[in-house]
Amino acid sequence: MRTRDTDKEKLVIEKAIELIVADGIQAFSMNKLAKACNISVATLYIYYKDKDDLIIKIGREVGDSFFKRAVIDFSSEMSFKDGLWRQWQNRAAYAMEYPTEVKLFEAMKHTPYGESIMRSEGHLYFKEQLENFTKNAIRNNELIELPLDVFWSVAYGPLYTMLNFHREGKALGGRPFTLTQDKIKTAFEMVLKALTP
Amino acid sequence: MDTISDHLLIFKTDIDSFCTNCQVHKALNDHPSIWEWSIDTQDEDCVLRVVSPSLTPKMVISLVNACGHKCAEL
Repeated sequence: MRTRDTDKEKLVIEKAIELIVADGIQAFSMNKLAKACNISVATLYIYYKDKDDLIIKIGREVGDSFFKRAVIDFSSEMSFKDGLWRQWQNRAAYAMEYPTEVKLFEAMKHTPYGESIMRSEGHLYFKEQLENFTKNAIRNNELIELPLDVFWSVAYGPLYTMLNFHREGKALGGRPFTLTQDKIKTAFEMVLKALTP
Repeated sequence: MDTISDHLLIFKTDIDSFCTNCQVHKALNDHPSIWEWSIDTQDEDCVLRVVSPSLTPKMVISLVNACGHKCAEL
């Protein structure tokens, strides 16, 4: 009988994320993962059918943790200012706490596996909440109606740019950069000005 | 509780590609005692994973060998 071990499963997920982030999806293999975890390849196949199955399951799991976190203390009924601020806070907190998972999103985004993140359980609820939130904001005249991609770029672009600077520890021209609440607040106020009628 | 991992058999093979017309695909698919199977053709060990309530590793190895492929328990 082949038994599953929850601790080992956690280790496998952790190491798989590290390897994918370090070497990319193409170079990632079950053999490398087994070596990194100090387990036999056969053990990996207790948990996963193949490399695809493993990457898809990990994508879903990481996606789920992000989408669940993004809706904490958030409701589609919030005013546009409060709701968007909550989104900024939740997304920034996630990126600060889970930098490796964010890098995994980046590594997976433009591959066929990217879809797996969107198929995570938490995504559906997240999507529905965010869609209702923007609809309410437009209806309440708190938000200018814009094509989705334009809205997203303006609403979250500045935050993600600063989070990237923070992750790399440097901003334009290689100057040292640390993200602070003050910087987040200043950028948020500018975004609010741009999106409010 | 009986779970899939209780009936899981894992092998190293030389099956680096297969199709629905391949002998090995047919043999595994048509076997009444095989609930589920998959081959990771991307892996260097071309790992075959078989879920069966009754087959022994030896029986699976014979089945794969009979289709002209190498097979060893991992």
